[in-house]
Amino acid sequence: MWQGMFSVFVLFGLWQAAGALRVGGIGDIPTPVDVARALVDATQTSRYWSSWAISGERVAIGFLAGTLIGVPVALALGMNRTLRGIVFPVMETLRPVPPLAWVPLSILFWPTLELSIIFVIFLGAFFSVALNVLGGVDAVDPSLLRAARSMGARPRHIFWMIVLPATIPAIVTGMALGMGLTWEIVIAAEMIAGKAGLGYLAWEGFVNGSLVSILVAMVSIGIGGFLSCGLIWVLGQRATPWQRKS
Amino acid sequence: MILAAPQTWQMALGFGLFVGIWYLTSAVLKLPRFEKIPDPLGVLIEWLSWNPIYGLSIFTPDYYKHIGYSIYRAFTAFVLAVALGVPLGLFMGWSPLFRRFTFPLVELIRPIPPLAWVPFAILLLPGTEWAVIFVTFIAAFFAMVLNSLLGARSIDPVYFRAAQCLGFRPWDVFIHVVVPGALPFVFTGLQLAMGLSWFALVAGEMIAGRYGLGFMIFEGYSLAQYRNIIIGMGTLGLLGYASSAGVRMLGRRMMIWRERQLGGGAE
Repeated sequence: MWQGMFSVFVLFGLWQAAGALRVGGIGDIPTPVDVARALVDATQTSRYWSSWAISGERVAIGFLAGTLIGVPVALALGMNRTLRGIVFPVMETLRPVPPLAWVPLSILFWPTLELSIIFVIFLGAFFSVALNVLGGVDAVDPSLLRAARSMGARPRHIFWMIVLPATIPAIVTGMALGMGLTWEIVIAAEMIAGKAGLGYLAWEGFVNGSLVSILVAMVSIGIGGFLSCGLIWVLGQRATPWQRKS
Repeated sequence: MILAAPQTWQMALGFGLFVGIWYLTSAVLKLPRFEKIPDPLGVLIEWLSWNPIYGLSIFTPDYYKHIGYSIYRAFTAFVLAVALGVPLGLFMGWSPLFRRFTFPLVELIRPIPPLAWVPFAILLLPGTEWAVIFVTFIAAFFAMVLNSLLGARSIDPVYFRAAQCLGFRPWDVFIHVVVPGALPFVFTGLQLAMGLSWFALVAGEMIAGRYGLGFMIFEGYSLAQYRNIIIGMGTLGLLGYASSAGVRMLGRRMMIWRERQLGGGAE
């Protein structure tokens, strides 16, 4: 533990020193103290908190839509081979297209900017969740399925009593990965097209040439991503108590 | 569940429906929100045309210029991330002392999404070129570090003890135990890093690039040359797919070698 603290202190110490001594000739590198002070100042403004609210809302809506659609779609594809044969190749073809490449098309299609940003977030979350869940369904132990079938279980029973519970860990993993991805996407989408939000805050810092504001926004984004991913893991642990290692 | 390859008719039906609905909504029915979406036939004609209306097709040098820039950036960043991330991750996994010092730093910086570095990188690095590569690098780097770390930690401690008993020096332990033992995880990291590189690259190019496929897509939007958006997306999909397949193939080669060696050792 102390070693970790030590390195973090050394890092911040070096950074502080580099900023104070103006090493590298880049001019005003803000020191950690500057950033901390600016962060505290920012928290006094309502604009900072509304950026949080706007980005958070976009992430939440896009992520929830991606999960609520991605999980049932993946389960249906996992249970029905014909459906999977029809839909999965198309999904696999679209998947290598990076989510952010959808931004312009999304702007063309959706009537408002808000909806287009949320749509791109939705796409990122959807693919992450759906592919993980599908992998989870494929990984269900076939002997469980055979045992259930030989005892006369119907597809309905197999789904509710075997496939769904066995897939919950994969759902949690997909959601956690998807959550990380949604933060990436919201930041980039806000820089490309946004008028508000934490990504826009960073971009505004850039436009004003203010490294301090950029760093404040970066720290805030990091905290946001960290908290929301942490939330997913905590909920996931609750949902899968049998996976907990004592 | 039973895995079966999709049958041809199913694939044909799937793609037929996808392209058919796309064509119907955008070209035939011209539904309210779909009218601006380029139709698949128009895109294909433009993409394969000798004389494209919007100046980009497989016969124009500009198209390859964009592709060349994107590949150059993605691979520079990817190679840098692998070259720096793998040794760092392996050392962190191998040496508990080193890990205790460095892991908190990695965890401190990692939650910041790579794309949040874009403005910072543009201001600090000379020219946007290096900013785009830097952002792509950051995205791939952490995937490589973490997977290499996990790989080194996944090695059975018995191997380390055995190597020590046989008088291996630390460097030999690293080459003969840590590197091969961590390989499956490193390979997973390579696949993830490749995907993340393209992901971050596109965003970086859209925000800051000049040339490159991300820039091409965004320019297609700003100049209302909407067909170029789809051409760019399609090209990105193909390149992303090809590079992932390349990494997979490379990984399989590495694994064959590893399996042979393990098999040979077990005699």
